[in-house]
Amino acid sequence: MIGRLREWLADRLGLDALQHLAEKKDVPVHRHTFWYYWGGMTLFLFGIQVATGILLLLYYRASADEAYESVRFIMTQVSFGWLIRSIHSWSANLMIGAAMIHMFSAFLTKAYRPPRELTWISGMVLLGLSLAFGFSGYLLPWNQLAFFATKVGTDVTGAVPVVGGFMLRFLRGGEHISGGTLTRFFGFHVAILPAIATLIVGVHVYLVQRHGMSVPPSVEDAGGPKRRMKFVPNFMLRDMVGWLAALGVLALLSALFPWELGLKADPFASAPAGIRPEWYFGWMFQTLRMMPSHILGIEGELVAIAGIGLGGAVWLLAPFLDDPRGRGQRARMMTALGVVALVYIVAFTLLVYRGAKP
Amino acid sequence: MQRRDFLSWLTRIAGTALGGFILYPVARYLVPPRIPEAATRRVLAGKKNDLAPNSGKTFPFGAQPGILIRTADGEYRAFTAVCTHLGCTVQYRDDMRMIWCACHSGHYDLEGRNISGPPPRPLEPYTVHVEGDDIIVEKAGTT
Amino acid sequence: MRPLIVIRWALVVAALSAALAYVAPVARGAAPGAADTAAATRTGPSAKNTCFDCHSQLDDSRLSGPTKDFPQDIHATHGLGCVGCHGGNPNDPEMTAMDPDKGFKGAPARKDIAELCASCHANAAYMKRFNPQPYIFSMAEFRTSVHCKKIAEGDLKVATCTNCHGVHGILPPRDPRSPVNHRNVPFTCAKCHNAEYMKGRTVPTNQLALWRESVHGVALLVKGDMSAPACNNCHGNHGAVPPKTRDISVVCGNCHGREGELFAKSKVAETLEFEGKRGCVTCHSNHGIRPPTDAMVGLEGEGVCGRCHTAGSPGARAAAELVPRFHTFKSHLARADSLLGVADRLGVETAPGHEALKQANDALVGLRATIHSFSLPPIEAALAEGEGLASRAESHAREGLRDWRNRRAGMALSLVVILALMALLIARIRQVERPAA
Repeated sequence: MIGRLREWLADRLGLDALQHLAEKKDVPVHRHTFWYYWGGMTLFLFGIQVATGILLLLYYRASADEAYESVRFIMTQVSFGWLIRSIHSWSANLMIGAAMIHMFSAFLTKAYRPPRELTWISGMVLLGLSLAFGFSGYLLPWNQLAFFATKVGTDVTGAVPVVGGFMLRFLRGGEHISGGTLTRFFGFHVAILPAIATLIVGVHVYLVQRHGMSVPPSVEDAGGPKRRMKFVPNFMLRDMVGWLAALGVLALLSALFPWELGLKADPFASAPAGIRPEWYFGWMFQTLRMMPSHILGIEGELVAIAGIGLGGAVWLLAPFLDDPRGRGQRARMMTALGVVALVYIVAFTLLVYRGAKP
Repeated sequence: MQRRDFLSWLTRIAGTALGGFILYPVARYLVPPRIPEAATRRVLAGKKNDLAPNSGKTFPFGAQPGILIRTADGEYRAFTAVCTHLGCTVQYRDDMRMIWCACHSGHYDLEGRNISGPPPRPLEPYTVHVEGDDIIVEKAGTT
Repeated sequence: MRPLIVIRWALVVAALSAALAYVAPVARGAAPGAADTAAATRTGPSAKNTCFDCHSQLDDSRLSGPTKDFPQDIHATHGLGCVGCHGGNPNDPEMTAMDPDKGFKGAPARKDIAELCASCHANAAYMKRFNPQPYIFSMAEFRTSVHCKKIAEGDLKVATCTNCHGVHGILPPRDPRSPVNHRNVPFTCAKCHNAEYMKGRTVPTNQLALWRESVHGVALLVKGDMSAPACNNCHGNHGAVPPKTRDISVVCGNCHGREGELFAKSKVAETLEFEGKRGCVTCHSNHGIRPPTDAMVGLEGEGVCGRCHTAGSPGARAAAELVPRFHTFKSHLARADSLLGVADRLGVETAPGHEALKQANDALVGLRATIHSFSLPPIEAALAEGEGLASRAESHAREGLRDWRNRRAGMALSLVVILALMALLIARIRQVERPAA
């Protein structure tokens, strides 16, 4: 019976072609195959975000008067609301972590080499979107920590020369953080960003299918991958083991470390001590904090922003700056840059928590 | 062959179990809870037969106590029960037909106005709706 | 032609009327009553006050001093000039304005000040002209005060109206600059009631120092709670006298209604009055009242019961029985509170628990008031009620913690399934990749 249904659908949807493609797809097997799973992991966690996010939408209210209470309601009155909410908050962090692992592994294996430049660029856009998702979502519970973290974050945006003032007002929906900011962030988080993300994810995944998996230069030099494994079922089964592990981690975190409710945001109270943005912005935050007030007559903050901006531009344009074959002096420098960036980001993220106060 | 089938069967069982672990919470989540929304704006303060005329009782409104009064004429009034002086919980005095705070003898009339003693401000009034047997109390100014 | 004649006559009539109106009050006669003099000078802001005009120009500060603050004086703003109290002629710019025959009284003798002020302020009909609901000063009340009695005996180093209200720049009590504004009253009283001024007398002089550190002083001066009592709230304004022994609990009970009510009916109140002791003051003191602590119930240390009750007396036995139960109740509350805190942090529903805890804390406040009945049955009833509420709060908290443990169990189970499934998938992978048998 199921077979007849499948046939009926296949005839109309052209499923046979898709099945053919899936069966043809294979994945190179070598020392670095492990890193291939992280893209799928990021996508899986994104799927979790969409599902739990949609569920949260059924009870959440995006007004300054009701946001906090609605989250409290979800945590305490709705059956398993605590689980859905905690999974959503934890999975956001896990997703961004997975995205960064995916990005660094792609960079250090030079997966951005031609013809995969657009894959890299779309991936960087997706990372930016993830950070935007995280930043906008963080405000929605409308608690003290979120309120002031958003204030600090948007303050920094305001420091960008020329466009900073406009960007600040665009993000905040005015000069100050208010109920208007909440509504706007909600709109970004549930409509605008998902729409753009769906598009870009589509492009990114299509490109990956089109070009297949990139093989690191070191493996190519050693004579290429010894063998390839079929995507279906071998790679997929392995993917699913990873996804199950992620699910287990999420269950553990949600039950043992439920996401805090915090105190309702009070714009007139003083900022809580030790206020800082979420960890994925930590290294930027720490860089800004450690800047001296002036360097060669220019404001330290501006120097930091310019530096980070420049670094980001280099990172984004890596496919065009690196040697197209992924070898030689330029390639080695690029790898070194990647390692330095990784160490820098990890170190500075950790420094935020070591209580390295200015 | 046996083992292969057994493994498949076990996998199917485990997969179904996992599916249950995911779908059961989601299904429960989708069912609306007993109280449809957070008790910040409106609460069920009591039932019609709870209060005799010329009596009052406190009830929870959000995180703070509220006071529901039934006047001698049978009319319902509701206010915050947090005294505006130092935050003690006020009570209804049927002998005085007034709201009274035991801490420093503050008096409020049945409009919530502070008429005697230390309280510097009136009690915030709430609107009362009687729907069938239910007495619903709402923050004033809520549509 | 005719209209012009009419106009001319109209002008003459107008001029004559004005002159008459101007002159008539002065022609009313010598030595007018104070009320009449006052009315005489109340002819509007443009009325002449030659006393002020001349005195304000003088070099001698004794003569020009009074004019400095007078324009703000409430009497001046209501149209009463210098002559309202001092008599004389406000239109005469010469020294003849101060002619006793024209009613000039000069500065009144100290013993006569009260009568002078009372001549207007005790006159209800007159005061009503300025305020439909006036404060009518009662000379009879003032005569009950220690101040008035001492002045009548000839002791002039004692307060009269001008010492508290000021003289020439009198502001209404509602004005924060007035020395009789609520927040300033204790300092005004302390201008005389201090060790230096009171040297040679037997009255205590530490009242201000004690009161400032007391719960009432801190409430009024530091927290700005205008309902907190200053000297006059307990001692009276014009009939200032320390309350009689039997009246003390009435005074305190004015604000502390429940405690006063319960105490008045208690055996302790009866006994204290019988022994001539001072009611509430016995345990709480009068000026240096500190916020009461639960340690006050007891014989030793901070316990006040030991001031009268010897060990072994019925009172001591009652205290001995109550104190541990009291502490049990409070530790019960603390336990419920900390359990709720734990439940909160774990993200479980705690609203009913917090509600019950609030009611339990309200019961604690009620219990502390009920102690003043000094009778076991009502105290035990209050204790029982409080304990019940604390138990409810605690059971709500424990229910929440149980919920959390259930969640942990559910999670553990789901982890088992996940790990099993992972193992099975790995087995499947191995199977698929094993070379065909």
